[in-house]
Amino acid sequence: MKVEELLSQSGEWLKGTGPESDVVISSRVRLARNLHRFPFLTVATPQVRAEVEKFVRPRLEEGKLPRKLVYWSLSELSAVERALLVERHLISKEHEKADGDRGVAVGADEAISIMVNEEDHLRLQVIRSGLQLDEAYEEIDRMDTALEGSLNFAFSPQFGYLTACPTNVGTGLRISVMMHLPAAALSKQMEKVLQSLQRLNYTVRGFYGEGTQPLGDFYQVSNQITMGKSERDIISELKKVIPEILKFERSWRHKLIDDEPRKLEDRVWRAYGILKHARRITSEEATDLLSALRLGLTMNVITGIPHKVLNELFIFTQPAHLQKIERKILDPEERDSVRAEFIRRRLEGL
Amino acid sequence: MNCEKCHKNHATIHLTAIEGGMKKEAHLCDECARQTGVHLKFNFSISDLLGGLMEPTTKTPKVNQVRCPECGITYSEFKTKARLGCANDYEVFRSELLRLLEKIHGSTQHAGKTPHTVDAQVRKENELIRLKKDLESVVKSEDFEKAAEIRDRIKTIELELNR
Repeated sequence: MKVEELLSQSGEWLKGTGPESDVVISSRVRLARNLHRFPFLTVATPQVRAEVEKFVRPRLEEGKLPRKLVYWSLSELSAVERALLVERHLISKEHEKADGDRGVAVGADEAISIMVNEEDHLRLQVIRSGLQLDEAYEEIDRMDTALEGSLNFAFSPQFGYLTACPTNVGTGLRISVMMHLPAAALSKQMEKVLQSLQRLNYTVRGFYGEGTQPLGDFYQVSNQITMGKSERDIISELKKVIPEILKFERSWRHKLIDDEPRKLEDRVWRAYGILKHARRITSEEATDLLSALRLGLTMNVITGIPHKVLNELFIFTQPAHLQKIERKILDPEERDSVRAEFIRRRLEGL
Repeated sequence: MNCEKCHKNHATIHLTAIEGGMKKEAHLCDECARQTGVHLKFNFSISDLLGGLMEPTTKTPKVNQVRCPECGITYSEFKTKARLGCANDYEVFRSELLRLLEKIHGSTQHAGKTPHTVDAQVRKENELIRLKKDLESVVKSEDFEKAAEIRDRIKTIELELNR
């Protein structure tokens, strides 16, 4: 499979069919692993990086794993292709921008990906649509156990899985639930949500992970503690917190429609009007309006647009996707025109 | 750890400030932090977080110079980068890391998954440590025949561990 073939499909997690999908976009689990007896990437020379990739790659490509994976060496990809993998949530921004031998192994439905030579030698990730934490963890656990058959991970009985950053050590498990919280944000309630989550040792980040701003009212809630608790405990604690946020967001959605139905309708239909007719649109504006449209759909203010189409629009209107679709490098202004046209065409005839 | 101001709530905000060339630490709960005018930042990087949790540099100067014999980084380099250089660092900087892990995770003992290969491996690791010590002593006593034997055994185990 080639990177550009990703354009003819969209990830399993974008289907928008999972449980609680009116609020929860996706459930993501990640495991950090390092190889025994190789230095961490912090101090790894180019030779060591090459050795790690050479050692790991055939083991990721072999058929015995629970999922068939395709490996892409990032140094062999163009800058646009690397950016496209970020927009698809298959690699991190850090992995995109780094130098040296590194890569990613991806399953055909994009539900699983394994970064090689990111901050740790291996970063496994599974993404599922909606709230499916147990399912996502089971899948990543199967892959991790299968990899143990051919790779020796750095582990200590006291410290657990050893990672470059002590914030990941122990289980190496980070769970992130991506949520759409437009009503809480519109009603200026987000500060409250953020503070109570922080008090419970959860972090909240934007759409593309660490260091990104919340775009279109999408927030990622993740566990901060990775040590001293079992994987199951970390998951079951998060499973108690998420429903509280869902309840909170839904109550503010109802308040919006009860108190100011016209205001909500106006916001949603204006968004639809602009998206359907604009000739130029920036990525930020598109995300903002798509977010309003998504709110309208879940509240039945507007009907007839499948969730899948909407979710795909969030991803396919990102810069690298547009450039790959057009098969050329576009400057920001050209992208704004291409983006507006792409959205118009997708919304036509719905 | 409790908040230094109200002594009631759990301290969730840890600050490091430099005043008159001296580093100072503060551990506050959300509420006292807000009252003191310290606002929650929405985005913070892991190094920001770690920066706030690190012990002041001036307090334990010797620790900062300890260098890992395997990857070559010192504890002070770790503090700057917030990243360790190799698995062995967890042993070399053990006591400092234990304090740090307690602050980050509220625990210093792993309680999750254990790789199924680990028991055999731990045994081999321990044997390796013992053999290396044996080697030192037989070299000192100039028993070179024995030393060669031990060296062979070390090589075999190292190969097995590198599988």
